[in-house]
Amino acid sequence: MKKEHIQILGIVFATVYGIFIAWLYWAEPKNLVEVSTKAQTTFEEVTTKTQVAIGTYEVDTARFSEGLDAFQKNNFIAARDNFEKADPERRDARTQFYIAYSFYRQGFGKFTNDDTLFKKGLDQTNNVIALDKNFKSADANLQLKTPAELKNEFEEGLKITMGDFNPLKVLRERK
Amino acid sequence: MLSKVQSPKSKVQLNDTEDLSVIEGKVLETSEIEINEAEQNNELSKKSKEHFYNSQTTIRNYLFLPFIFLTVALLGGLRLSAETSAFLFIKPPLICLIFAAILLILFLRANLIKLDGWFSESFLTLTNLANAGVLFTLFAASAQIFNSLLPESGLPFWTLAFCFFWTLWNNLFADFDVKKLLQSLGGLFGLAFVVKYLILANLTAPTSEGWFQGILQNPSKEIFTWILDLPRYSHGTGYIQFFTIAFYLIGLFLVKPEMTADKR
Repeated sequence: MKKEHIQILGIVFATVYGIFIAWLYWAEPKNLVEVSTKAQTTFEEVTTKTQVAIGTYEVDTARFSEGLDAFQKNNFIAARDNFEKADPERRDARTQFYIAYSFYRQGFGKFTNDDTLFKKGLDQTNNVIALDKNFKSADANLQLKTPAELKNEFEEGLKITMGDFNPLKVLRERK
Repeated sequence: MLSKVQSPKSKVQLNDTEDLSVIEGKVLETSEIEINEAEQNNELSKKSKEHFYNSQTTIRNYLFLPFIFLTVALLGGLRLSAETSAFLFIKPPLICLIFAAILLILFLRANLIKLDGWFSESFLTLTNLANAGVLFTLFAASAQIFNSLLPESGLPFWTLAFCFFWTLWNNLFADFDVKKLLQSLGGLFGLAFVVKYLILANLTAPTSEGWFQGILQNPSKEIFTWILDLPRYSHGTGYIQFFTIAFYLIGLFLVKPEMTADKR
């Protein structure tokens, strides 16, 4: 084997081993099983980031469909989980809008709204506006089509006004 | 039929005809031929040995040394938790990097590493690059060795850090040769290992279910653990760090002042 070949091999080996050590100290796995699971997670993250960097990032349509299905069945926790997995980089306005909407539908109450969920929903809606302020949903099942309308709903829901004590409020419908 | 054997650089001429007019070189005796052949064989075997030796040296310098030093860098910050023996990766504090830098200067001053034997304009870029890689792995291993030997926090950390600094600073102005430097480092690291993994580890109270129960069972150890802010690690940690230091010293022993010509 030539000296140059050994030197190249040495550089490659040291680089790979060095990256592995740096990764171990960054990921801090607790045992050998965690080494493999954390490696898989890191690999997926790196793949996604690379896709974003080179402009080939796409939402996982299968996951999105599962999320939409759960959303329509009012299973909002499962829906959000699927939407988040479908768009791990939080770059797709449509997916992010559904996540925000799921907070609205889950937090809506005839007597009182769930303020915690509404606050999360408001933050999420701001995220959608930041991604695409002109976004408009094409889903016929959603009465609130734009992030602006959804944002208004969250803000009104979080305010305490005299109208909150109106008994007729129980007749209002979830949008 | 006539056969004439000539000196190695001359021709061997076989002549089946009767033309005997062209003869070059001198006639050699059979013993001389054998000597020549033996010399040639010796030269060849010398060359092949030299090639083998060079190849071994290159493998040692560019594969084995980085492997040893990177393994030290991996294990130097590894601890095992007392309860579950889970891995704990402790990142080196800044002071470890400073100590590692001082140690490298010490290596240069003691001629364990000759700068012009590692980097030169006359070398190929690849050689300079490969040598830089080995030097970087040595730096990483040195930083992690200090990370391994320094207590993690509290008064023991600052006390040992000060002792290390004092020793390294003094050594910077002392006249060292390679052997003395390696002996001194062996002694320094050995002592620090004993302090951290034998003395301080034995002062650390074992994990107990509650603070009060711990005080009842091991009052003095609990007090030392609390006052000195000693972390509780599994016994396996000491074993791992023992081999880490051993690997590091073996690595230092294998480092040559010049990466190209194998001299010390």
